[in-house]
Amino acid sequence: MRAFANRHPVWSAILVVIAAIVLWLIFAIWPKGLSDAIGSKKIFLNALFNGVTLGGLYFLVASGFTLIFGLMRNVNMAHGTLYLLGGYIGFYTADSTGYWLLAFPVAFVIVGLLGVLLQYVVFRRMEGQDLRQTLVTIGISIVVADLMLWGFGGNFFNISPPSWLSGPVRTFLVTGAKSSGELVYLTYPMVRIVIFAAAVLVGLAMWLALNRTRIGMLIRAGVDDRDMLSATGARIQLVFAGVFAFGAGLAGIAGVVGGSFQSVAPGEDTRFLLASLVVVIVGGMGSIPGAALGALLIGLAEQFGSVYFPTYAVVLTFIIMVVVLAFRPQGLMGRA
Amino acid sequence: MTAETGLALELRGVSKRFGALAALSDIELRVRPGERRAVLGSNGAGKTTLFNCITGDFPPSSGAIRFFGEDVTSFPAQERIRRGLRRTYQISLLFTGLSVLDNVYLACRGVSRGRFSFRRPRASDALMQTAEELVTTVHLQEVRNTRVSDLSYGQQRQLEIAMALSGAPRFILFDEPAAGLSPTERRELIAILTGLPGHVGYIIIEHDMDVALRVSERVTMMHNGRIFKEGKPAEIEDDPEVQALYLGGAAHG
Amino acid sequence: MAVLDAFDPARARDRNWIERVPPAYWVLGLLLLVMPAFAGDFVLYQIMGWTFLLGMIALSLMFLAGYGGMVSLAQMSFAGLAGYLVAIFGDSAITAISQGWPWWITIPLSLALTVLAATGVGWLAVRTEGIYTIMITLAIAAAFFYFTRQNYDLFNGFQGFNTILPPHLFGVDWRAPVPFYYLALFWAVAAYAAVLYLSRAPFGLALQGVRDNPRRMAALGYNVTAHRVAAYAFAGLIAGIGGILLTWQSSQISPGTIGIGPAIDVLVVAVIGGLRHPIGAFLGAFIFVLLKTFAVDVLISLGLSGERFQLLIGLCFLAIVFFSPDGLLGLWDRLRERGLRDPLTGRAKDDR
Repeated sequence: MRAFANRHPVWSAILVVIAAIVLWLIFAIWPKGLSDAIGSKKIFLNALFNGVTLGGLYFLVASGFTLIFGLMRNVNMAHGTLYLLGGYIGFYTADSTGYWLLAFPVAFVIVGLLGVLLQYVVFRRMEGQDLRQTLVTIGISIVVADLMLWGFGGNFFNISPPSWLSGPVRTFLVTGAKSSGELVYLTYPMVRIVIFAAAVLVGLAMWLALNRTRIGMLIRAGVDDRDMLSATGARIQLVFAGVFAFGAGLAGIAGVVGGSFQSVAPGEDTRFLLASLVVVIVGGMGSIPGAALGALLIGLAEQFGSVYFPTYAVVLTFIIMVVVLAFRPQGLMGRA
Repeated sequence: MTAETGLALELRGVSKRFGALAALSDIELRVRPGERRAVLGSNGAGKTTLFNCITGDFPPSSGAIRFFGEDVTSFPAQERIRRGLRRTYQISLLFTGLSVLDNVYLACRGVSRGRFSFRRPRASDALMQTAEELVTTVHLQEVRNTRVSDLSYGQQRQLEIAMALSGAPRFILFDEPAAGLSPTERRELIAILTGLPGHVGYIIIEHDMDVALRVSERVTMMHNGRIFKEGKPAEIEDDPEVQALYLGGAAHG
Repeated sequence: MAVLDAFDPARARDRNWIERVPPAYWVLGLLLLVMPAFAGDFVLYQIMGWTFLLGMIALSLMFLAGYGGMVSLAQMSFAGLAGYLVAIFGDSAITAISQGWPWWITIPLSLALTVLAATGVGWLAVRTEGIYTIMITLAIAAAFFYFTRQNYDLFNGFQGFNTILPPHLFGVDWRAPVPFYYLALFWAVAAYAAVLYLSRAPFGLALQGVRDNPRRMAALGYNVTAHRVAAYAFAGLIAGIGGILLTWQSSQISPGTIGIGPAIDVLVVAVIGGLRHPIGAFLGAFIFVLLKTFAVDVLISLGLSGERFQLLIGLCFLAIVFFSPDGLLGLWDRLRERGLRDPLTGRAKDDR
């Protein structure tokens, strides 16, 4: 961090100022003029929380995508399909057993296995042929999307979390003060907070696993230099299959999360594939911290956009992408 | 700094480091216009790095390079190409989806004016004529309309040479043109090289002592990024030090 | 299909252009010209008209992908943008937005703006390479789709525009089946000829050089970025013309026309046909249109619901990319090669 500050003093100063403003906006009781100008603090805090938690969801989807791309240079355009499949599996598991928590391991394992299948049937047979892999996975996503529509119908499903998670919780953040002087606190759905915390945990665990364990080192070495990985004599195909399973499994879990946040429905596959693409383009291909940063930015942009400039919400996301591409084509955290 | 006049290529104290590794140290090299020079040395002696420095693909860490009296050390690769310097590559960097003639045509057009044109060239187009002639020079006229990806390895090497000859070169760097060729193809290569117009000088990197000595007037020996001997082919061939080092260090050559 | 192999540009270079047009072209050309004499309105307007227009948009992708090595999923967006602009500047049922300008301003202006947009997108997309191009152009296409759906001031949101009609030029109703057929045919042939011509011009050759080896092209003195961006601009023009005609054909444009599905359909069309030769785009479009038109009947006859169209097209696409990456053109090439080989020795029968 200090190195960054030394290299880019202006940017660091700008970032510090932005951080200070945001912190003030979060913790201070807003003066009346501000509320009149941009709406109440409650709306702002809600957008912020929704953005951050949506970012958590995007991170879950995109981190698998970026991990697979970073290690194997495989572009899996069926990633959104894996997400949606995870959502349906999660819905039926939770619905039939009544255990919401059970949906996660089931979706993880089944979708992870499908990921391995994809790796063996498609990617291994077409190693190094980017375009063909892309085309084949696009084909698979078209076919599976229609199969899912056939099998599950066009209805919206909602995975309902258990009662102990579904209620709102009172946070320590003040949204304003009543005329009596009594402070009003922000309430927020418990489930979103828990899931966001889980996403952070997953991210941290991934980062630790990549940086602190032998297998993680192996994977990172593979990301940097694929020839070296095969030279170390590691059972490279096994590592590849493992990473693919994990990345796909994450997409499956994300599907359950998405189904609890929002809904499981046809079309969500494309939406989350696009979100993953934008997140990794912004964050940088193959970088886990990049995926986290990109997911946060895009999540916030979408939520703030839809609250403060509804007609141009998409444009905000697009502008972020264009600016990043124009100034840092490799992404914020990507290697040059 | 005094530049020796009348030299095609002059390297003064050229060094190239990759991190801690000194790929080239203090190279001094003088080549006259029209001279044919061979650079010999074992793998890792720094021969290809030397070429990369001369062409500007990787500029040297220190030292100066003069091309026909002009200091080109800081020039980008295409500026050097524009001044008549050409090279061939060890690995194939051809345009595999295009025909032989189109490859040469592109190389010719790259050094001419008006590279950006939407008008189709006519068969009588001067550049097209030049390209045809070059294709004939390297004995590829039979396959001039064949896609490069369908050529044999030897033909691809010949095409490399045709591309290096495009646009009135004054000096060419050949990077192991004979590697992987059959004996017949080698004879053909030697014929092409010795048949080049007299004013075109070149440096050739070659593992095959036989080829190198037959197509060169002078030989420079490199080892571990340094030049350690220079002389006429016959002198080099008989030099005991060279024999010990070269025959010992290049068992695969 | 004989059209495919009949045109060998290198071999044909020495002859004059009349002789250069291979006989198969004359046959196909004649067939297309006299088609209105025996084909019904549905075939002319829906099947052939749509084939030409979809083929043009796929052709713009083929040009970028086949010659430039850049797979852009934004081609449908350029087509849609041109259609939208014609509706905005010209006439439509949405009089609150449509300006009602005459066609000789509207059409050139729309195309110019589309080319400008394509140039901008190209400039962004060529900052990255290979597989990133697909992702970035897909993201751009998606952004444009959502934007048109949300924006009511300019794009009239979800509804889009309807009753967008071609001008009554020379007293002809260009939306009548036969005139429209010839209109679409004319522009499809023009675009096809332009692409074929450019592919052998220095610009096209250099573009193919950039596709094969950008670094060497740069070393040879070519401006790699300029060639790539110019390719986007040219492809944008073709897609734009196709888009305007497509808008006239259905007389409407809405976000549904330019969604992710249609964007991918263009890729499917181009890949099914084959990216190696411009004819592949029209071949793919023809097959796609036939499938889209008749798949429902086929599916129902197989006892499946007609809704499973996506499944059918997806499976076709999968089969092709799995077994013949060069599309139907590649399949044709391979079959022909096999036919030319002696079945006993496996050697080529004649030295062509």
